[in-house]
Amino acid sequence: MKTKVLVSMLLIASLQLVSAQKYLSKNGHVWFYSHTPMENVEAHNNQVVSVIDASTGDIKFNLLQKAFEFKVALMQEHFNENYMESEKFPKASFSGKITNLSTINFKKAGVYSAEVTGELSMHGITKTITTKGTIEVKGTSIIAVSKFTIAPKDFGIVIPQLVENKIAKEMEVNVDITYNPM
Amino acid sequence: MTNNMKRFWLILGVFAILSGYLVWKRTFRPSDTNVASKKTEAVVSANTLIKAYASNEDSTNMLYLNKIVEVTGKVDTILEKDGQISVYLKEKSDTEGVMCAFNKTEIDTSSVKVGQIVSVKGICTGYLMDVILTKCSVNL
Repeated sequence: MKTKVLVSMLLIASLQLVSAQKYLSKNGHVWFYSHTPMENVEAHNNQVVSVIDASTGDIKFNLLQKAFEFKVALMQEHFNENYMESEKFPKASFSGKITNLSTINFKKAGVYSAEVTGELSMHGITKTITTKGTIEVKGTSIIAVSKFTIAPKDFGIVIPQLVENKIAKEMEVNVDITYNPM
Repeated sequence: MTNNMKRFWLILGVFAILSGYLVWKRTFRPSDTNVASKKTEAVVSANTLIKAYASNEDSTNMLYLNKIVEVTGKVDTILEKDGQISVYLKEKSDTEGVMCAFNKTEIDTSSVKVGQIVSVKGICTGYLMDVILTKCSVNL
């Protein structure tokens, strides 16, 4: 009897170990677009750190503002110095949850649609955002893709009138991250 | 119009075009893809850099943030994603390392081997889980 209890306890423990699978990426790709008739701006960050916990649906992102790369050097300077104030606020982070976790099977290959809600912090301001995306299970790795828009003014980013027509009121943010088991 | 006036307008015109050109060039100057030709501001081993960041992020930022640093370390992994290559410098005994970001045109991945000691020059961009260098070039 005792051994049976012990065996079943061990079984439960090992099951929990398997299901408590965490996935990590250190070279996630996040980029944003600003489209206006006057000018298109685009910047890429390929050093995004992100963790997904498949058992709880927790999803976290961390990035450095200064790792965003622009095609034009002066835009990058303005982004860091005037808009994001990267010296004062060097990091942006997101911490949220996959709200439809039950429909995603991390052990079966396929593309699943995912809904995520969480807190996005940057420029010293935190806002709740909700977005849709996909999670692709491919071998041992998973690929998360999402697209959403954010308004600079929601994060206290002031765009001077002089360049108001060159910078979109809403930025399109894209996320494309390949995770591997931790 | 006298000859003097003509010369004045000519010089002014040339000056206006020239300054316009210079402003235009400065405004739309493309970002560097690497900082190989720029002056190195600090030389440090990957191990020392990561230990310094792990113990005190703020004081280490004072020393290295936004500076062009040359970091020597052992290649742990080479990752590729969407046209960017990351070379991860880490010693087996360490839990964290230095993530070096390369523009695809700036590195020949076949020339870098896992386990090799390399020296990477780039801009120290800060500390997340690892120290991050951007716009890197490599010295084999």
